[in-house]
Amino acid sequence: MRRVVRAGRRVAPAALALLGTACSGSFGMPRGATEQGADIFRLWQIFFIAAIPVAGVVYGLIFWSVIRYRRRRSDDPDALGPQFRGNHRLEFVYMGIPVLIVIGLFAASAAVEVRVDRVSPDPDVVVNVEAYQWGWRFTYPREGVTIVSPPSGEFVPGPQMVLPVRQITRIVLTANDVIHAFWVPDFLYKHDAIPGRTFMFDVTPTRTGTFYGECAEFCGLNHAYMTFSVRVVSAAEFATWLAQQRAGQQGAAA
Amino acid sequence: MSVTVERPVAAQPEEPPRRLGPVERLTSTDHKNIGILYCVTAFGFFLVGGALAGLMRVELAEPARQVVSTQAYNTMFTIHGTVMIFLFVAPFGIGLANYLIPLQIGAPDMAFPRLNLTSYWFYAGAGLLILLSGVASAGGGAAMGWYAYTPLSELRYSPGVGVDLWILGIALVAMSNVMGGVNILTTVFLMRAPGMTMWRLPIFTWNMVVTAILGLVAFPPAVAAFALLFIDRRLGGLAFDPLGGGDPVLYQHLFWFLGHPEVYILILPFFGIITEVIPAFSRKPLFGYLGIVLATIAIGALSMGVWAHHMFTTGVVNNPFFSAMSLLIAVPTGVKFFAWTGTMWRGKISFDVPMLFALGFLLNFLIGGVTGVMLASAPIDYHMNDSYFLVAHFHYTIMGGSVFAIFAGIYFWFPKMTGAMLRERLGRAVAVLLFMGFNLTFWPQFVLGLRGFPRRYVSYPPDIGFDTPNLVSTIGYFVMFVGVVLFLADVAVSLRRRVPAGDDPWGGNSLEWVTSSPPPEHNFDALPPIRSERPAFDLRHPELAP
Repeated sequence: MRRVVRAGRRVAPAALALLGTACSGSFGMPRGATEQGADIFRLWQIFFIAAIPVAGVVYGLIFWSVIRYRRRRSDDPDALGPQFRGNHRLEFVYMGIPVLIVIGLFAASAAVEVRVDRVSPDPDVVVNVEAYQWGWRFTYPREGVTIVSPPSGEFVPGPQMVLPVRQITRIVLTANDVIHAFWVPDFLYKHDAIPGRTFMFDVTPTRTGTFYGECAEFCGLNHAYMTFSVRVVSAAEFATWLAQQRAGQQGAAA
Repeated sequence: MSVTVERPVAAQPEEPPRRLGPVERLTSTDHKNIGILYCVTAFGFFLVGGALAGLMRVELAEPARQVVSTQAYNTMFTIHGTVMIFLFVAPFGIGLANYLIPLQIGAPDMAFPRLNLTSYWFYAGAGLLILLSGVASAGGGAAMGWYAYTPLSELRYSPGVGVDLWILGIALVAMSNVMGGVNILTTVFLMRAPGMTMWRLPIFTWNMVVTAILGLVAFPPAVAAFALLFIDRRLGGLAFDPLGGGDPVLYQHLFWFLGHPEVYILILPFFGIITEVIPAFSRKPLFGYLGIVLATIAIGALSMGVWAHHMFTTGVVNNPFFSAMSLLIAVPTGVKFFAWTGTMWRGKISFDVPMLFALGFLLNFLIGGVTGVMLASAPIDYHMNDSYFLVAHFHYTIMGGSVFAIFAGIYFWFPKMTGAMLRERLGRAVAVLLFMGFNLTFWPQFVLGLRGFPRRYVSYPPDIGFDTPNLVSTIGYFVMFVGVVLFLADVAVSLRRRVPAGDDPWGGNSLEWVTSSPPPEHNFDALPPIRSERPAFDLRHPELAP
């Protein structure tokens, strides 16, 4: 017993360090460049960390059984294992534990969903996003600015949406023809755009930078070329950009 | 009462069994013949679907579009998905069921032999239509994805006749499935041998019962959806056309109400295979028979309430409800994992080829299951949906799971079906190559999905982290390709230079192992007493029989 405790003392810091690394690990996922995305990122961490011991226990049991109970050369080829047919108490345990795990995961997931789906009554910026075969139209209705995809084709850089950092942007999503989906991987968020319906969601960017975006719902021939980008800038730069756009577009109209 | 029954000796053919002529092959209503027809046809479709996958992997090996046209690529993934799901995996399960169920329950044939043959011909004809749909029209074939979302699949956006052929093909497959389901249920409920109670049914047969019920519930609404889509396209209907007041989301509901039970139609028969293979090679009874049957029923029941988890990003379904139901399905699946492990625990495990594939199944399917739990969370799915993470997830379940189980089943029952063993060494090489190739192909796709690579993209920009995983994935495909070629060689060699199998090469548990290999036309000359779920074992070990 004492030896176990001593070994535990030696192993514990390493295990804690490992757990610490795990908790800060991204497990391959972008960290989320919006408040909503960061929330989803933390949920992903919870799910991934919960998966590690589950997979570890199941794999451990499988490998242990396979290695420990393999038929050896010295065994009688007709030898049987003990012919027991189950153990009700154990069966209830291995049914009960997963139930508890999924209840916990569900609670975490539902809480995050409420926060991510929440739309502010008073967004700072509104962008109407219209998806069509095969491009995007981004309209800033309050400012009267519109950005449109160039005619689609292979390798044409898509239109760019510009957003101010740390302000709530309301995206109003519609589709003209078939179903599309608006996906910015760095925001960890996508939403389908369905003709005949209007959807709204908020993003609050937390980092400046340019983020790649794409259509995620297969929408016909040039689906793969229906990309766009989102550039997140400071509030001052955003105001300048808007003014430039407005001047340019009014000039073009005149 | 105690009755000693001699081990029934069926006429053991020393020579290879008489070959059926081609006409006999195609018209015989013997369930064993139909079962083999199904399995061989389905495997042919696996090769077709696999070849399409290869073309797609070659295209994606490098960033820009090089090999095929965009239209051709879109057709390829449409036909690949349709073929693998509706023409390979599900029919292979039905084929095995046809072959095995009468043998496992001690019946001479299926309940409706002619319906059985009809359902095969519906399936084969449907397969032909679906292949044709890929090449049918001048502007390219059906290219709307295997779930054919409206309005993209409406005439305005997909004017080719490919889509119409595809709709007809899928509707025929659905009808074939319904016929098969009716046949399976009637056979199992009414034609069991004396002593074969429901609680002594072999697990494979139990799983086919649940699969058949799922098919009967799920396919009719899908046929309705396809009929409405056809009416929209050709007869001026407006059911799913938003411009005429129709609702594209209605189509999604109807489709996924088939689509999700279908996922379990694609796995339950193969859970059944694994549950037959593991006890045989562990030399132990199944751990928790009742638990595993109840888990199967629970999976079947829950699978009818999870369809809208395909629609989390539509914003029009009750995400938390479908999220909870989807998470819950992990519980009965977990029960199965523990039951399989419990069966191996303290066994005398031998690693014959079927067992190797079963172990591959366990290792792969766990990853499919764990990532499925992640996808069941709606907010996580906001990122993952329609990405390669999803693609990797369902290939880990269907390819790493079902297809590995199919190979386990082929190596396990091939001796019964043909009277000849498959080659052990070649089989091991096939198992190792497929396992390595599979993981090499699909593990990088998890990475791709997390980084934001959407499915159904024919090309991608070179500089945002999509290139290396795609290249590795393509290399993995070719490792699997070699494995499949070796497998075909194994079958060819084993049929030519026969190593006789005997009645029971593995020490099997269920009734098919007490008759000859291949079984006579009427299946059994005499049946042993059935006093547990493993009558063949009881016959070999009367000292342990209950």
